[in-house]
Order: sequence, then structure tokens, then C-alpha cells
Amino acid sequence: MQIKYILCGLAMLLIFHVAYAQRRDTSKKDTAHIKQLKEVVVTGTRTQKSLQQVPIPITRITADEIKQKGLVRLNEILAEQTGINISDDPHGQGIQIQGFDPAYTMILIDGLPLIGRNTGILELSRITINNIDRIEILKGPTSSLYGSEAMAGVVNIITADPTKGISGGAAARYGTNNTADISLNSAYKNDRFYISGFANRYSSDGYTLQPSSGLPTVSPFAGYTLNGKSYYKIDDRTTIKLSVRYYTNDQDSKYLVDNRYAAGTGTEKDFNIAPIITRRFTDKLLSTLQLYRSTYKTKSDVRYENDQSVYDQTYFNQSFNRAELQNDYALKDNLKLTAGAGGQYETVEATRYTKLQSFTSGYGYFQADWLPVKKLDIIAGGRYDVHSVYKSQMSPKLAASYALNPKFTVLGSVGKGYKAPDFRQLYLNFTNAEVGYSVFGYEEAGAGIQRLQQAGQIETILINPATLKRLNAESSTAFNLGYRYKPAGKLYWTANLFRNNITNLIETAAIAIKTNGQSVYSYFNLNKVYTQGIETDMSYQVFKWLQVAGGFQYLQAYDQEVLDQIAAGKVFTKDPETNLTKVIKRSDYGGLLGRSKYTYNIRVNYFNRNSGINASIRAIYRGRYGYKDTDGNGIINRDDEYTKGYLLFNASLSKPLLKDAVRLQVTAQNLLNYKDAQVILNLPGRLIYAGIAYNFNQK
Amino acid sequence: MNKFKTLSLALSGTIILLASSCSKNSDDVTPAISKLTTKTVTDLDGLTTTNVYYSLSTGSQITGADTTTAKWDIKFKGTSIFINSGTSGTGTTQAQIVSSTFETLTTAPTTGYKTDATGTPAISGWYTYTATTEPQHAILTVPGKIIVIKTSAGNYAKVEMISYYKGNPNTTTAEFANLATRPASRYYTFRFAYQGDGTTSLQ
Repeated sequence: MQIKYILCGLAMLLIFHVAYAQRRDTSKKDTAHIKQLKEVVVTGTRTQKSLQQVPIPITRITADEIKQKGLVRLNEILAEQTGINISDDPHGQGIQIQGFDPAYTMILIDGLPLIGRNTGILELSRITINNIDRIEILKGPTSSLYGSEAMAGVVNIITADPTKGISGGAAARYGTNNTADISLNSAYKNDRFYISGFANRYSSDGYTLQPSSGLPTVSPFAGYTLNGKSYYKIDDRTTIKLSVRYYTNDQDSKYLVDNRYAAGTGTEKDFNIAPIITRRFTDKLLSTLQLYRSTYKTKSDVRYENDQSVYDQTYFNQSFNRAELQNDYALKDNLKLTAGAGGQYETVEATRYTKLQSFTSGYGYFQADWLPVKKLDIIAGGRYDVHSVYKSQMSPKLAASYALNPKFTVLGSVGKGYKAPDFRQLYLNFTNAEVGYSVFGYEEAGAGIQRLQQAGQIETILINPATLKRLNAESSTAFNLGYRYKPAGKLYWTANLFRNNITNLIETAAIAIKTNGQSVYSYFNLNKVYTQGIETDMSYQVFKWLQVAGGFQYLQAYDQEVLDQIAAGKVFTKDPETNLTKVIKRSDYGGLLGRSKYTYNIRVNYFNRNSGINASIRAIYRGRYGYKDTDGNGIINRDDEYTKGYLLFNASLSKPLLKDAVRLQVTAQNLLNYKDAQVILNLPGRLIYAGIAYNFNQK
Repeated sequence: MNKFKTLSLALSGTIILLASSCSKNSDDVTPAISKLTTKTVTDLDGLTTTNVYYSLSTGSQITGADTTTAKWDIKFKGTSIFINSGTSGTGTTQAQIVSSTFETLTTAPTTGYKTDATGTPAISGWYTYTATTEPQHAILTVPGKIIVIKTSAGNYAKVEMISYYKGNPNTTTAEFANLATRPASRYYTFRFAYQGDGTTSLQ
């Protein structure tokens, strides 16, 4: 029975192949020449700029590169980039740029922000990369254009527009842990109109790093992504576009609570809709009106296995609504002005918040892109945000790039970034039932402490909630200086020096001790932190069929107040052998948790034009990072407080068939099966996948 | 020849300048070392006896009827340390915590002492509880917290808590992390220096 269907399918394939012109599978595009000079980026300025000239450090990843590596989720491709680490946190896999936590990087799809963060972390595996054209990663604060959360940088996933005619395809990847990723897409485009649809299913059995415990490290899940995009050219000057995205994911969970097993399911749903109208009023003036609504909902129901009594039932609903108008005006040939304004309305309602909370905010931004001479590009801009709950923010930015010669461009920028206190830091009302600690947002702290006191649960008050200061936004000032060197088609070398000074960092601190020994925490604008370092990446086309590349980052991330205390001789440690107190020197201080001082990667790619075979192998090294404080001084200093550094090897092999209509792929991640079961949760060991993709295009 | 002289003068001048401008690395400053006798108490048993009473002046454990008098200075009960005053005892002992290493604390502060009251003992924050972080469910002493005691007799002493476990084990080892092989808790190891002459000198 099944064989009949397979034969039918194959027959259809053959018919398509014979009857219609094939669209070349894009991964076979000639990669012999690095085309980055002519490539366009949009995220840096919200206008089109050339990658060589844009004065802001930006990395561009093409769909070709993603397909060659056989990667299908956003966390997989970002983990391999120079200067980017995927943080290992039980709340999710988030991105770390220039030493910042995941909460400080904005994730955009087609320029619109994704919502739905768990303790500030946006889970990157939620995003499929099968239907995209490219990813642009911007480093450095860009609150001058994007507002809050764009403090470390911005990751913009740009979806693909269809090619003319009827096109479509299917792709599947299956492998270790029963992880399957299946996509279907189809589109129709003519001169005035296109419509495209995309569907993806991503599922896995999860894995466990502690098989003897009977508990999963990552639980089984199954999720779907549906995307629809439509575009209509009303006339030569006006276009209208509508994008819709729906994502849903169900994940099982299992915990051990006081020697009883509790299990359940968690569901998350993410919905975005964005109608966009652009009108070119004159040759010089282009206006874009963008409406955006995004909702994110989670629900979880976990019960004890033996008697089905409820262990934890929670829900979380967040909505984000925005209207924005941007005007691009080409005042002169060498001076382009951009001005925009918008309003936002956000709400959150959850079991961990006392009632429905909402934010209203408005903003205006301005940017001037000036080329006084052809070699020099100066961009100056700023954004002003007003908010219903916290202080207004002004985020200016100044950037310039200078082409010393056609091969060498120097770029530098200075700017401010900020991150608003989020709903959690303002309104959270949460007690961890298993461990027993409580966390209250700033606005809830007073009422929360009072409630616990009435229930007799407070042993000591450390900080009177009445004395808590109002939370302000975290802010940073950053400097970036670097260059792009492209002496010939074969070599491309970039380097960037960065320094971020962050103030008002919101941290948790204990405000009371409970009778069960656990603490009550709230949020404070506590810290001054700085991150600085250097990042460099080079790729070289050794032969037509062989490309070698490598990248390296050196990072320092320190809490300024800890440094001041160390200088005053007030920070101590215990010698592990004698358990006696010792003073800490500056060289003992390991900096912020989760930051590796050294990371590097080496990439080798082989491509044979005749057979179309592409093989690549990448080595990614992550230096040791501090993950816990065991000597009780609140900082990372002793060797036992670090993980070990580790090296991962990823490889892929692909071959096109049937005149590039079909591509076969084998992908391997973590070939050497490196694990650190006790400490690092997002290394499941060796992962091997086999995949197949089919594309067609009838013009 | 002239050039050579000038060059050598310049060179030696530079060397002298450099040598004199080099300052000692501030990390190398050696702190004053305490000369009072330091007594280390190992494995004071708080497991078989829930309340362990100790006298810093005699350097010995207090038991029996003496536990209701002013003879003891500190009392250990689980993770709590009480002093002989207020709601914890009949004496007038006071205590405070100072941030320092044991050796460099050479003078006791004159003010800032507290007596024990219900719910707010004078001595707190001397340990952290690791909960689910490795090593799990461990009581680890916090570095740099030196307890300064002013006894009922008006004498000063400094105390450093060293370990909560039998044998003062290295808490970074796998044996300690493994709850099955971890040494027994409630065995107190600490060191103290007692100044019997009534002055604040803890040198």
C-alpha cells in the first residue's frame, strides 16, 4: 500500500522535472566568489546600504550558507557565528552578543520584534530558518532606531520573497533523538502581485543527560509554524503587503518534587500580523506605514503522577500592538533623511501577576545619512521614547565609515542603548513552590512582603520595601571601532574593537529572609558593568573549490562595583584546602557569569562545481566560563566555579540531483559527542541528521 | 666617541628613571599579622547534642548546669549561632560581623554591636545554602565574615567559622558533592583569638 504512494510521488516528481523549467536549487550558486561587496543590508539603518559601506558592525548570513550547513533552526546557525554564544540557561537558549545577556538583543522577523521571553530569554529554536533569504546581525546599541532591548544588538531574520511564476518545495530533515523538521512552501508571483505560504513542523523526543534520574533534560515537543505573505502593487508608486505568522508548540514536562514524579504539558502560541503600506510620493520621498500586532500565550498544567493532583497550573498572555510611520527623504543625492514615529500598547496577564498590566508608549526617531565625499559616510540619528511607567529615554547614535581605498574601509560608531524594565521586573508575584523562594517585581514588593508577614513566613526584613527606589531603564553607552579589508575576491577580513559601559543594570537582590531559609527577592537598578573586547573574522578562498575561514573573540565582562570593592580589599574567598579566608586580587576576578574570555571558530568548505557536492566542517571553541559561586562571595573567582572550555565539531555534506531540483544532505553536530552532563544542559551529544529538499519553479 | 658617551648617558639615565619610577605591585603589600594566640576548634559536635555551648575565655565547651549561666559566649544550634544575651541567654555578650580576613582584623570596633533578639540574632549571614546548585544542599561558610564578640566580661575576641562539616572537608571535591559520601554536618570547625586584657587590640 505504502509502496503505491511512494511510486505515485516519484512519478509526479518526474513529470514536474520533465515538463517544466527547473529552478536551480540555490545552494549550488557559485560560492567561489565572495560577493559581499555588492550585498545589501537593511537592519543597520532601516534603509538599504551596501555591506562594505554601512558604518555599523554587521554580519550577513545567506540562505545558501544555511542550506549548505544543513541547519534548520535559528539557534543552530547563530551558534556558529563569530562573537556570538548561545547561552546555556534552563529557561531557554538565548543569544549572547558582546558579553550581554540574551535579554539585551532584539530578535526581529522582517524588521518586526518577536515577543514572548522567559526571564528575558527568547527561545531561539522557536524560529525556523527554512523560508528565509538572509539573517542580518547588528552589533552595538541600536536603540536610536529600534528602542528598548536593542542594547547589545539586533538579529533580523529576513524572509524570502518568491520568484516569478509558480514555485514551491518541500524539505525534511530527520535524525538523532527522533528530531524531525519538515517544511512545505509554495508561492505565486506575477508583475503586480504575489502570495506565498509556508508550513513547518519541528518535533523531537528530547534527551536526557542524566538517564538514571528518569527525568528529561529537554522534554519531547512538537511545534508548527505557519507563515503567509501577500503583496500587491496598487500602482507604480504604492504597494501593500500583509504578513501573518503563527507558531504553536506543545512540550511535555516531567519533574521530581519531594520524591514524587509530576508530569504535564505546556503549550505556547505565538501570533504575528503585519500589514504594511508603502507609497513613493515623489522621487525623493518614500513613506511606509506599518501596523503590527503580536500575541504570545503559554499555558501549563503539571500534575503529580500518582494521584493527578495539581502541582503547577500557570498561564501567561502577552500582547504587543504598534503603529508606525516612517518617511525616507532624499534631500540631496548624498544626503538621505529618515524620520519616523510610532505608538505602542502592550499588555500582560498571567498567574504570576496580580492583574492585567499594560504599558503605553510612544516614540520618534530621526536619522541623517550623509556622504560629504564619496569615501566618507556619516550617519547621525536618535530616538526619543516616552513611556507610561518609566522615565523617557533619549538614544542618540553617531557612526561613520571611511573607505581609505576601495579595498579597505574603517568604521566607527558611538551610541546609546537602553532596555526598559519589563513586566517581570515591575509586576512579578511569584513563589517557586519546589525550592521555596519568592520574587516580587518593584510594584508588588510592598504588598507581597505584607502578605508573607501576615502568613508568618518572614523571618527577617533586609530591606524595607517602602524604601525601594523606582526602577529605571538600564542604559549603555558603547564604542565600536573596526575595519573591513577586501584586497581581492579571495580574502575578506573584518575586525571590531568594542566597549560597552552599562549603568543601572537591573539585578535581583534579597529583601527578606523567609522562615524556610529561602529569600524574598526584588529588582534593583544596582550595577555598573562594562564589557569590552575585540572580534575578528577572516575568510579566504584558497582554491576555486576550497574556502577556509576563521573567527576569534576576546571578551572581558566585569562588574564595576566588584572591581571597586576588590581594589578596596573588601572581597574575599576561601582557600579550598584549608577553608580559611583570603583576600581577592583583581587578577582573581573572573567577571560576569556565563561569559567566555576566548571563543574561536574555524570553518572549511569544499565545493565541486561539476558534481555540485558541497562538504563543510566547522570547529567551534568556547573557552571556560563561570557558572556558579561556591565560595559564597557572590563572584566568580575559584577554578571550581568555571566550566571546562570545549571544542565542538559540526560537519555537513550535500549533493544536488535531478538538475538541482533535489538536494540530499547529511548534517552532523558535535561530532565528537562532547558532553558536560552536570553543568551544560544544551549539549545533547552527537546529533546526526539526513535530509532531502525539493524545489521547483514554473515561470 | 662623543656620540657613544651621550648614548650611554642617555641609556643609564633612562634605566635610572625607569627603576625609580617602578613602584611595588600593590598586590604585594603584606598585611600586619595577628600575634594573639589563635585557637582552632575542630569538629565541635553539634549533631549528638542539638545545642552546643562554648566559652571563648576558657576555650572549652560548656555543659550541664553551666549552660544557664553567663559562663558561655556562643551557642551553636544547627545553622544558627547565638550569643549569651537578650533572648538567648542571661549574659551580656554582644557581637557583630566585620568584613576582613582573620589575620588583618587587628582592632575590634568600639560600636555597632548587637545583642540577640527573637527573630534577629546578632550573628547572621555567616553561611550560604547551595540548594540545587552543586554541591547541592550544602551549608558553605561565607568568606570574609569575621565575627567580633564582646563577652559579658567586656573582653573582645574574633571568630572565623571554617566548616560546618566533620573533618573540615574540601567542598570543591566530588566526594563532598555526592550526598552519600559527604561528611556529617553540624560538626563545627572554627578558629578564634581571645583578648583577655579588655582592650580592643586583636593583634
